[in-house]
Amino acid sequence: MDIKRNWWKVLSVILMLYVIIAGILIPIKPGIIDYDNASAETGSPYEVTVKTYNTHFDKAQGLRTYLLLPNNELLVADSSEVINAAEVKASFNIPRRVLRGESESMDLSLVIDNEIDGYMQFPEAVRIRPSTTDTFNRAYQASALMPLSSLRDVDDFKFPFRPIVYETIRNTFFHVAIWMAMFIILIVSCYHSIRYLMTNKLVHDQKSSALTSVALVFGIAGLLTGSMWARFTWGTWWTNDVKLNMTSIALLIYCSYWILRSSISDIDTRARLSSVFNLFSFVALFILVMVIPRLTDSLHPGNGGNPAFGDEDLDNTLRTIFYPAIIAYTLIGLWIAQLTVRYHSAKDNIELLIYNKSN
Amino acid sequence: MLQRIFHIAKRDLTLEFRERYSFLSALLYLVAITFIVYKVFGRIEQPTRIGLFWILILFTCINVVSHSFSFHSQKRKYYHYILYRSYELIIAKWGINLIKMIVAGLILAFLQSIFANEPLKNILLFSQVYVLSIIGMTAAMTLISSISSYSQNQNTLIAVMSIPLLIPILLIGMRLSLISERIIMDTEINNYLMMLVGIDIIYVAILIIFIPLTWKA
Repeated sequence: MDIKRNWWKVLSVILMLYVIIAGILIPIKPGIIDYDNASAETGSPYEVTVKTYNTHFDKAQGLRTYLLLPNNELLVADSSEVINAAEVKASFNIPRRVLRGESESMDLSLVIDNEIDGYMQFPEAVRIRPSTTDTFNRAYQASALMPLSSLRDVDDFKFPFRPIVYETIRNTFFHVAIWMAMFIILIVSCYHSIRYLMTNKLVHDQKSSALTSVALVFGIAGLLTGSMWARFTWGTWWTNDVKLNMTSIALLIYCSYWILRSSISDIDTRARLSSVFNLFSFVALFILVMVIPRLTDSLHPGNGGNPAFGDEDLDNTLRTIFYPAIIAYTLIGLWIAQLTVRYHSAKDNIELLIYNKSN
Repeated sequence: MLQRIFHIAKRDLTLEFRERYSFLSALLYLVAITFIVYKVFGRIEQPTRIGLFWILILFTCINVVSHSFSFHSQKRKYYHYILYRSYELIIAKWGINLIKMIVAGLILAFLQSIFANEPLKNILLFSQVYVLSIIGMTAAMTLISSISSYSQNQNTLIAVMSIPLLIPILLIGMRLSLISERIIMDTEINNYLMMLVGIDIIYVAILIIFIPLTWKA
């Protein structure tokens, strides 16, 4: 095999291995899953047991629990009692004057940090209400305050921790990347369709149809991985989400492309008509998947008021695997398509040989 | 060019008038199903009425447009190929389909108003939506029927290929007509109308660009 000409196949295998190994083995950052007490009063003690994920409380020395005040100061817990590696019991004495107005209440974030895991927070975890009792206890000592800069941050390469999504954030490298690769492959397929219509060379039609079938397989794979992801985050295998319905319709369009191809026997007519239909269905796919879901409410990011894939969703650690994943899937798709084209042309040649021999 | 298109359209209309069974049978299908549905269910809720309207229009569209190439013999096709430019012929055919579908829509809306004993609430918006969506639908269907006229099992193929392609238009049209019947409230009517216009432009452009290619085969 000529490595110089087939460098992209080697690249695709290396990238694929990198995506699978790094995407599955790199741990996610520690984070807070659950806590048992969500309300507190000013001027009275507050106790909370916090459950966390991926933390090493038993090994860490200086564990501290905080409440983040609106003026960006941290209220440090008087005691943070480690129960096990992923559970801590903290007790605070809430000061009398956290609130500016007497009648308002506010939501404070819960923050935990230690020197091994760095800091983690649960936004708007605790609701602080003004005290209902008027007793004034001189001995009451509020917890100490610390500046925000004293939080310990650990600089390590881990995937971000998101509530609800948790470990399934790794599906970004499979579900989302497969969709992106499918779109790239479909664009290449449309390019070959246009080339066929311009030059009338059957090679382009073969390439275009092979690429379309790879894209169809990728589409089904994307749907399956998406369905699994939906099971773990939204609770069902299939929701009535617009994007899902539109995608399944788009896959139906590509299935009808295959019905069209198989129903016409003449090679040139089939090539021309299926190229036209391929371009048409790509436009329809674009309308179905990119335009319509933006009109209505959707659970997917980027639709109906949900945030798109911006800095919030895709941080730099995810990017280092997400972009190589797209490239890897695209290259592997192109490779499969190339093999399909070669298989078909070899089959045609063999049939031609048999035909020549028999005559 | 316009004159030639008008000429073709006039000639096709005369031909159509002589062989009127196809369009009339499509209309009969429409009327019969509406009648049966109203007799079976008695009273139909407004949203169901709108849904029924669009589904019937979809199937009538398939019936009407699939005939636009089927009765052409190979010889007549060859004759047309020598005589006309393909886009002129297709614009004429598309225009005729459009007129037929507008007639069908008028009849269906009229029938439904009579059976339901309740006129349409916003006729202007409803007809606007109907015409806009039927432009895109007939354009897509004309292209599909010209593509599938080369295969053996034409009618199945038309239904299989066109219904997924028409779903975006149907969804927007249905939502807009629900708004026009004041079943749902939405302030973004103009956005939806612009979407519909956009899809129409895309589909018509695709029709005119690609028809010479499918025609040549």
